[in-house]
Amino acid sequence: MPPKGSGKRKLGSTDGSATPQGPTLAEQYSYLHAPRPFKNPNYSKNVNRRARVLKNVLTQERERERLERDRRRQEKEEAMEVDEEAKDGVVEDDMPFYTSIEAPPSVLPQKRYCDITGLEAPYTEPATGLRYHDKSVYELIKGLSVSAAKDYLAARGVNPIVK
Amino acid sequence: MSTVPPTPNVIRLPTPAPPPVVRTPASYEEHRGKGTPLVIDNGATTLRWGWATAGEPFTGPNVIAKYKERKHNKPVLLFGEGVDCESGARAQARTPWEGDVLLNFDALEHALDYAFVQLGIDTPAVEHPVLMTERLSSPLHSRALTSELMFELYSVPSLAYCVDSVMSFYHNNLPPPERQYTADGLVISFNTASTSVVPVLGGQSIMSHAQRIPWGASQASEYLLKLIQLKYPAFPTRVTTVQSSWMLQNLCEFATDYPALLRKLKDPLELRASERIVQFPFTVPVVEEKTEEELARIAEKRKEQGKKLQEMAARNRLERLAQKEVDLQALLNLKERRDKENKKEWMALLQEEGLENEAALDATIKKLDAELKKAKKKEAEDDESIAEDEPSFPLVDVPDADLDEEGLKEKKKQRLMKAGFEARARARREKEREREEREAEERMEDEERERDLTAWANKLRKEHEALINKMKGRARKKIELSDRKSAAAQARMKSIANLAADDRVPKKRRKAGGEDMFGADDADWAIYRQINTAAADSDEEDDLNQLHAIEQKLLAHDPNFTTEHTHASILSQRSALLSAFKPLYEEGDLEGRSRVHLNVERWRVPETWFSPSMAGVDSAGLGEVLQNVMARFSDGEKGKMVQNVFLAGSPSRLPGLQPRIHCTLRPILPPEMPLQVKPASDRSLDAWRGMADFAKTAELSKVSVTRGEYEEWGGERIKRWWGGNWNLATPI
Repeated sequence: MPPKGSGKRKLGSTDGSATPQGPTLAEQYSYLHAPRPFKNPNYSKNVNRRARVLKNVLTQERERERLERDRRRQEKEEAMEVDEEAKDGVVEDDMPFYTSIEAPPSVLPQKRYCDITGLEAPYTEPATGLRYHDKSVYELIKGLSVSAAKDYLAARGVNPIVK
Repeated sequence: MSTVPPTPNVIRLPTPAPPPVVRTPASYEEHRGKGTPLVIDNGATTLRWGWATAGEPFTGPNVIAKYKERKHNKPVLLFGEGVDCESGARAQARTPWEGDVLLNFDALEHALDYAFVQLGIDTPAVEHPVLMTERLSSPLHSRALTSELMFELYSVPSLAYCVDSVMSFYHNNLPPPERQYTADGLVISFNTASTSVVPVLGGQSIMSHAQRIPWGASQASEYLLKLIQLKYPAFPTRVTTVQSSWMLQNLCEFATDYPALLRKLKDPLELRASERIVQFPFTVPVVEEKTEEELARIAEKRKEQGKKLQEMAARNRLERLAQKEVDLQALLNLKERRDKENKKEWMALLQEEGLENEAALDATIKKLDAELKKAKKKEAEDDESIAEDEPSFPLVDVPDADLDEEGLKEKKKQRLMKAGFEARARARREKEREREEREAEERMEDEERERDLTAWANKLRKEHEALINKMKGRARKKIELSDRKSAAAQARMKSIANLAADDRVPKKRRKAGGEDMFGADDADWAIYRQINTAAADSDEEDDLNQLHAIEQKLLAHDPNFTTEHTHASILSQRSALLSAFKPLYEEGDLEGRSRVHLNVERWRVPETWFSPSMAGVDSAGLGEVLQNVMARFSDGEKGKMVQNVFLAGSPSRLPGLQPRIHCTLRPILPPEMPLQVKPASDRSLDAWRGMADFAKTAELSKVSVTRGEYEEWGGERIKRWWGGNWNLATPI
């Protein structure tokens, strides 16, 4: 069954010197010892390259985007200079980048929802800033501890700065 | 398993799945040397891979765990479902994706290793052209590293990138063979950590007009988890993200009209009807039920112990008594010997006993004597209360002059004792009088009650209400006082200032030479009660006691007054709404307490797709984004696109999405424009299928980046085609 040239293709790394329990489930799943001939042994991962943090990657993207946009603007200016009349028709769209594709903040008016129940919330509690649906929920809010109130606000994304 | 739950819509959490079957790699013979394209859908949640000619891809959750197994101390590398089999592995799980961005290339390498091993590849290089997915306008860093991996590590001959949602759209709008692909449509892609809208015109996906919302299924399940934790802060077990995503996938749905739904759910009955109850596993504490006889035996034992203790105490007392008698006897003997021996020796004897002189000896003898007599008396009349007989105070009446020093002392003592005795007698008489008065009152009340039950009940109820109102008023005042700007607080400050003012006395009195007469009138001191905010407790206690007494009487005799009307239950009453929202269970009901009731959350969580600001993400919602995207097209193009609004991606499986998108789009389009919203036929696998379809055509070679081109351009540059990204893409 196994094609020529291949070693044993068993997935597990069963112990030759059999321990009485046999291979555990994890060992059966493990493919650590499966032969991987398709990998290039000469390729050495750049060991110095540290896994980049997401923040840095995004910053780099933004930089590239900016550079690219500047470059395009320059090209367009040069092109405009060459032909004196404005180019008609083909306006090349800006190249989309990961960060430029992101949706803008919302401009629609936000509906207010009760922080506790999720129903509509016409009222706001002045001390904590929690929105509530009616009297009974208000009674509940009055009984909340400070940390609980802060958790509710955090779920909404409001992080009150504690002095 | 356990018994059928009493309530109809209780759902148990899924039992952990049985461990997955260990996969054996497939045979490679079929594809050796043929250069069949490899199609890899690199998703943030699942990895799907396979040959382009196969009908179905291999799938597996896109996680890797590399850890040292504890039993045999061997390093182990696991992928996908295998990670779940060991809890230690789960802790070490890594995924190549961080949200929406491919960052962890170690993990990606291991995942691809697994994929290729499963395919059975055994050649020194992967000799197949590869078609892979990437994110919409993927960050160049991710793309560069992926290309590097594929070309340098796996030595693929050519590599092409595409966007998964567009390929899913392609699969559902396949052109007839030998015809150009010219479909139009609006693709809405629901991914793990983002949702994007891509317009497609004439087969070309207009990437520059696409938009992405940073909200996807993973954020939604985290939001659901947060909501559950807020609603059940004291939940007995920990709720995990896996469980909350299960709940999201199975219990949540999109509301077609969210405000209308909320208005409907205001009614507690509706709330109850719409809830789903999730029962979490719980352990019943083992209560050792002692049978009757055991209980009796334990009671017996306790009684016996008590008796034994009593006996021991009695024995001790007797011993001490005996000891005291012996002592007394010895001292008496000593006293007798005084007559026999001479003084010096006798003093020496006294000193031996520790006594100073004869008087001390006498005093000790008297003391011991008195104790003995008391003890004997106590034993004799153990359970009777000693009736206080009238002690005589003979010396009180004797005038002072007749008595000597000792007599005077005696007289004083007796006078004090007499005064005390008289006071006690007086107190006893007063108590009896009070008791008689009270009894008379109660008798009157009983008569009144028997005469006219309702009138009596009404009177008591009015008192009850008045008391409750007074307490409420006091509570309100307390709250007002804590608010600095309220009228009550300001009045309080004014009185404090008044009291402390120097010129407290009104002018008239001062002219007449008067001083500050505060305090002459007892009522003046009441002002301090007003000022002192903390001292209301004694008042409250009195009120509470009174209230309690009235309630007892009413409960006992008035049939209409039930425990619900008592003050305590009124205080702890929760509104119907809150009890429907989060029903409370009894203390001992562990099964009930391990339940999570989801009512409003079922719609609230999917609503975040349309309004991420509900969860704190400052971004436009899906409706707004659709509007933005379409605003950049002409009406003709819009018309072409909205006839084919396409929903792609696994999260789009949530029910209610199609009507919701329809309702969202309908108002912003001209009414005569036909609008059609279609979901993908297989939301999870259609992207892979579309890629496989494409890979089978000859187009693949035209859009792929070959090895040579990679070495010339680097990893970031790709070729621009209808299904791929446009960032850093050169036209073919």
